[in-house]
Amino acid sequence: MENMITVTDITSAYGRKQILQGASFTAQRGECVGIVGANGCGKSTLLSVLAGTLKPKSGEVLYYGRCAWSDGKGAGRDARQRAGGMRGDREVIRQMTGYVPQENPLIPELTVYDNLRLWYPDRRKLEEELSQGFLSLLGIGAYKGRQVSKLSGGMKKRVSIGIAMAGMPPILLLDEPSAALDLVCKEDIRRYLQVYLERKGTVVITTHEESELDLCHKLYVMKDGRLQQTDSRLRGTALVRMF
Amino acid sequence: MGQRMRYLYTEIRKAVYMFPRMLLQAILLMALIGMIVFCAVKTMEQEPLAVRADIGVVVREDDRVTRMALQYVENLESAAQVCHFIQMPEDDGFSALEKGEIAALIVLPEQIVQGIMDGRNPTVDIFFPKNAGLEAMLLRELTESGAGLLRVAQAQIYGAYDTAEAYGMKEQLSVMETDIDSYNLAFALDRLAVYDTETVSVTGQMSVLQYYAASAVVLFLLLSGMAFYPVMRREPRAFQRQLARQGTGGIWQGFCQWMSGFVCMELLICVLWLLWKAAGIMTPEPVGKITEALVERSRVGGTGVKIGMFLLVTVTVSTYIYLLYSMAGSRTGSILLICLLSVVMVYLSGGLIPSVFLSGTVQKVGEKLPTAYLIRAVGGLYAGYGAGSPGWCAAGLSVYTAVFGVAAYLLRRSDV
Repeated sequence: MENMITVTDITSAYGRKQILQGASFTAQRGECVGIVGANGCGKSTLLSVLAGTLKPKSGEVLYYGRCAWSDGKGAGRDARQRAGGMRGDREVIRQMTGYVPQENPLIPELTVYDNLRLWYPDRRKLEEELSQGFLSLLGIGAYKGRQVSKLSGGMKKRVSIGIAMAGMPPILLLDEPSAALDLVCKEDIRRYLQVYLERKGTVVITTHEESELDLCHKLYVMKDGRLQQTDSRLRGTALVRMF
Repeated sequence: MGQRMRYLYTEIRKAVYMFPRMLLQAILLMALIGMIVFCAVKTMEQEPLAVRADIGVVVREDDRVTRMALQYVENLESAAQVCHFIQMPEDDGFSALEKGEIAALIVLPEQIVQGIMDGRNPTVDIFFPKNAGLEAMLLRELTESGAGLLRVAQAQIYGAYDTAEAYGMKEQLSVMETDIDSYNLAFALDRLAVYDTETVSVTGQMSVLQYYAASAVVLFLLLSGMAFYPVMRREPRAFQRQLARQGTGGIWQGFCQWMSGFVCMELLICVLWLLWKAAGIMTPEPVGKITEALVERSRVGGTGVKIGMFLLVTVTVSTYIYLLYSMAGSRTGSILLICLLSVVMVYLSGGLIPSVFLSGTVQKVGEKLPTAYLIRAVGGLYAGYGAGSPGWCAAGLSVYTAVFGVAAYLLRRSDV
């Protein structure tokens, strides 16, 4: 079975500071991959690369065999039939991934509906999603007419996930989605992700929440810019010792 | 509708949604500027500019006739408006002159009146300070002009006397002297004949009211940018990058934000224009008088030129505000930057105080600032443009708009 995500030797740097130093992992359809690590270790950088908002220095990212990023050295070279320099294919990234960054990508002055409308090309499809699709699972329909600036953190995060789901991508990338949210909201998001996984979606999540780690089929610890796979059942002090 | 057009639509929708709040803020701002302008005009009307110099007078011989003559001069209306004579001892006079307490010191010699009467004409010494101020300089010029006139008159009298004596016509001397006196008096009294008439205005071809109206409009437009924070601020990086992921790049994002600010500015001006028209219907007399004072119907250009210039002004102002929002990160920082830079630039361009009162370097800098072009462009909309002026204004504004736009793009590029 072909991997849904294949990440090979990704390196990335901010100026002279090397952040990612050959990060690699794979994920199957319907699989949840958790990435944990100390603050500032490069988890968000890796997700930014996967989401296409940050260009890596080298390495390769394939989504279901289609090349998202390639330095022309790996399998992506054949897929794209070109070599030399780091090249990305935004169309592949856009079609294959939905990205939920830590900061909510919302316009606070507008309503939830107006915000969603920006990302959903088809109004009818959006209405359907709100009434019986993924957006209804998130409970967004109940407050779609409210101004974003007046929403709680949890509500905003749900809208952010709703935005990431525009276009129904098969891969969902979440950067600490439950940070600073209340327990009810965390549970709602966890349940939503469970449904998404059951429907054969692939999730890559960076998190510090144990409840979200329970969803993960694979768990990676990021240390010194590299990913190290570990037992997905590890929790608490045992897991922290790996950082 | 593609992602790009959806974003443009969303930004404009946000602008329209936020417009009532922005309008309210702009009206409050306009009321504040109006109040300041009103107070300034009232103050200027109450206290006309006048230079009244203190002049020290030393009378070496304190006789009754000299005192009477001095009192006569002091009470002359023309002298009293310009000078305030203070009698003082000679030592005190020179000391006051050194300290800069008086603009000049006049030393009257002994028997001055008698000397004038018998034709000896004793010399009157007038001392000015070395580092003379404006008052002393003015007084010096007036004194030298006056002395020049007196010298001419005296030469005429001596010339007439010598001529009459040489040709044996002494009996005709009184007639000649009367003719000379009549000529000189007519010449002195009709002072306008001495000067060439040349109108010099610090406001160019605009009247003071037209000029300050243009300055106030420009200042208002620039400061109204403070209300545009919701539409022109730097969006969070997450939002910008999410847009870029979907194919809406930094240039288009910047254009959409600028466009929403531009739409707000146009709407704002339209609403204020309608309010002005409504005020004209409800209170026709004062509005009519102001319009009459502002609009030079004989000089105003065609409608096309006016519309073009109006659009260019709003485009430049929108781009300038967009640049300032690109430079400052926070709301407070943006507001402070807009307020400070706008007031300083309008000041340097002579929008608050006529630029002739500023130093030469400041004047040169002020002439080249965008606010100078904006004031000329706005003033020209109702007071007309001089020959070639609309072209220069348009060129200046276009260059500034391009510079502001590129600078804003470079500043925001790193966010995407």
